[in-house]
Amino acid sequence: MKVEIPEELQEILEEFLVEAEEILENLDQDLVDLESNPEDKELLNKIFRGMHTLKGGAGFLNLTPVVEIAHRIEDIFNKLRNDELKLTPEIMDVILEGIDKLKEALQMLKESQELPDMEEIEGLLSQLDAVLKGESPVSAETSTESSSSPSSEAQKGEELEFVEGISDKLKELIKQFPDKDLAGILEEIILMPPDRRPMDVIPEVEKLIEEGKDVKDLIKKKEPSGGETEKQPSPQKSETPPAATSETARTPAEKTPASKQKTSKKQEKKSSETIRVDVERVENLMNLVGEIVLDRNRILRVTQDVEKECRGEAVEKLVEAVTSLDRTVSDLQVAVMKLRMQPIKKIFSKFPRLVRDLARKLNKKVQLIIEGEDTELDRSILDKLEDPLIHLVRNALDHGIEPPEERVAKGKPEVGTIRLFAYHEGDHIVVGIQDDGRGIDPEKVKKKALEKGLITPEQAAQMSDKEAYELIFLPGFSTADKVSDVSGRGVGMDVVASTIHSLRGSIEIDSEPGKGTTILLKLPLTVAIIRTLMLGCNGQVYAVPLHSVVEIVRYQEEQVKEVGSFRSFMLRDEVLPLFSLNELLEVPDNNQKAFVVIVKVGEKLIAVSIEKLFGEEEIVIKSLGELLSDIPGIAGATIAGDGRVVLILDLNSLLADYKTKLIGVKR
Amino acid sequence: MSEAKEKELSVLGVEELIGEVHEKEVQVIAFRLNDELVGVPIEQIIEITNNRDLTPVPKAPSFVIGVMNLRGKIVPVINLKEHLRIPCEIPEDIYQRNKIVILETPKGEVGVIVDEIVGSVKFPESDVLPEPIGTIGIDVKFISGVVQLDRELLILLNVESIFNQEE
Repeated sequence: MKVEIPEELQEILEEFLVEAEEILENLDQDLVDLESNPEDKELLNKIFRGMHTLKGGAGFLNLTPVVEIAHRIEDIFNKLRNDELKLTPEIMDVILEGIDKLKEALQMLKESQELPDMEEIEGLLSQLDAVLKGESPVSAETSTESSSSPSSEAQKGEELEFVEGISDKLKELIKQFPDKDLAGILEEIILMPPDRRPMDVIPEVEKLIEEGKDVKDLIKKKEPSGGETEKQPSPQKSETPPAATSETARTPAEKTPASKQKTSKKQEKKSSETIRVDVERVENLMNLVGEIVLDRNRILRVTQDVEKECRGEAVEKLVEAVTSLDRTVSDLQVAVMKLRMQPIKKIFSKFPRLVRDLARKLNKKVQLIIEGEDTELDRSILDKLEDPLIHLVRNALDHGIEPPEERVAKGKPEVGTIRLFAYHEGDHIVVGIQDDGRGIDPEKVKKKALEKGLITPEQAAQMSDKEAYELIFLPGFSTADKVSDVSGRGVGMDVVASTIHSLRGSIEIDSEPGKGTTILLKLPLTVAIIRTLMLGCNGQVYAVPLHSVVEIVRYQEEQVKEVGSFRSFMLRDEVLPLFSLNELLEVPDNNQKAFVVIVKVGEKLIAVSIEKLFGEEEIVIKSLGELLSDIPGIAGATIAGDGRVVLILDLNSLLADYKTKLIGVKR
Repeated sequence: MSEAKEKELSVLGVEELIGEVHEKEVQVIAFRLNDELVGVPIEQIIEITNNRDLTPVPKAPSFVIGVMNLRGKIVPVINLKEHLRIPCEIPEDIYQRNKIVILETPKGEVGVIVDEIVGSVKFPESDVLPEPIGTIGIDVKFISGVVQLDRELLILLNVESIFNQEE
């Protein structure tokens, strides 16, 4: 279904989409919390309010399918918070399905200005209706008397009779929003487009609320039995409303204004402290700052030359100004970088739901503990981190955590624990996943690798446990005995590893069979600016990220040994595999080596011989453009002080071809 | 129609009426690849440069000559002849000798090395003829048409299709 949004509402639509996304994102976490704590009124209210806001916005923009779903979920939560309905896992499943549909619809809306057709959501709506009608036993007695009774009647199309003294407009509204209390109607009025907003009804409604009345008190019930309601002589005075009614009807009336106040206060506070900025603008700013950094480097260089060549007051002043510029630019760089930092909560918040769904599917009992969710990471890292994390958490649940019976038999607590955490460590961020499951058996890993022909029996025999865990990251490796639909879809840990490496991060696995596994991802704070080592090879300058460099030593012929087809480099009492940068880059080699750079690739140290060394430099990473986006071994480029392009090497992927052969080479 | 006249007409607000009668003009930058005269619409050309500081990219596809710094942006420079699969011998001094035309392509800005820039050519859109088959060395899928100029044939390159092919 195509949605036509008039030009003047476009901006509102965009705002709505952002807000809706925020609401739905928070909702996942809240819903999972709710499942473990179904009585939490605060939480129920929060979810209710979220749905209400969503519905209001969607209604304003005429997004019917969204309104229909949100409306029903809102009603369910209204019942839940009024204790008219009890939350069961089955109800939760239906609600979650509804939330998923909402997400899907909003995604469609965002991407193609389309919404699912009504027929498509009919099944879901009737499921939600079924929940709403209260198939669960608790709701049965209360719901008939509750505030929702007029709603069901109105939906059946029955005529409502009002007590005297109510304006026609208000009667209209009550019919229009059958399941609303007066405060709710007031809110609906406020949400209406200005030209359709019945301003004169507002004081009337407000007065009624002040008098403590509600919709129920304004309606004469038309019941075949001739009923109680007619016995009330003048319902407008309503001194003696039936006990049950007053209780249930008034609670929301009292609560809603309060909660409304709360939300509006919160929004006010938010809007004064933050602004929403298009990512593109921040990216643009970042690029411009990158330019300034490069220009600054150039100016610094020229100033140094000027200083050498001439003396004078003017030169001194220039140097002073340039020094100050240098400082300001550095500060600016940090400030803009901070703009791109976002708390890791953004992706962590998706996990409670994921873990819950998976645990239910696998019949396992798992609790998820999240720590350090306020740790901030560069946005571009954050975006790429999500899939690897999902994969690792899936693995932990699928392969790590044992079924409850097995856990009990082993003397472990029945409920497994997965910890997801993040913290700062120096100029790095560590993101980790820890489970208390069965752990990784290094022998089993070696056996698998042998079967797959990834290592030789000799290599397997020499391998340490840590090296064995590293095998998991080899392409074509999967420890699961059979491919389940949870984890293992052909793309495995090797993809996780390559993603992390492409972010210039590293992975560490630590595992104890029977006790559990911990996987640590070490990531740089930012991807845009890195410290590199500038080195030369075949007449060109290349930059190598400093984080992978362990040591630099002078090249000495006598330290090089030929071992079979490999060359090795003797470093103190260690023997490291040696490659020349020329052979890794497939460029001509004149065998004039001056230095050896020791780099860390995974758990291994590898020696790379180079021709020239220019020192350390902080550089701004630029992409090589789409045409050259996937050249192995080249992570990007930067522009040097003299304006030339310098390529940034990714030694990890340069060495990838040799990696399989290298594993097991004793160091 | 001269530019001045066109401007005048649009000021008068009669542009639409006239536009149907008058032919739309195409302006291309013409350059040489071997002996062929080829052209690219001027809208797709960002600039022509003789920047000689190219950095070779190891392990890149062979048609990539290197990358250059275009006002702070990194732009790949390719050997258009090899990319179009027409015969070419890379001269020793390829990094020094030739002009680089920076094109706006579906894959971003890309520089192409050409043998000689001929200049800008204007002609009415109706002069563009469908591409002849087999008469020139360039695959017809890379061509959007040809134009018969006074002395020779100008081949119009289709930048979209050249850079959308999967390597």
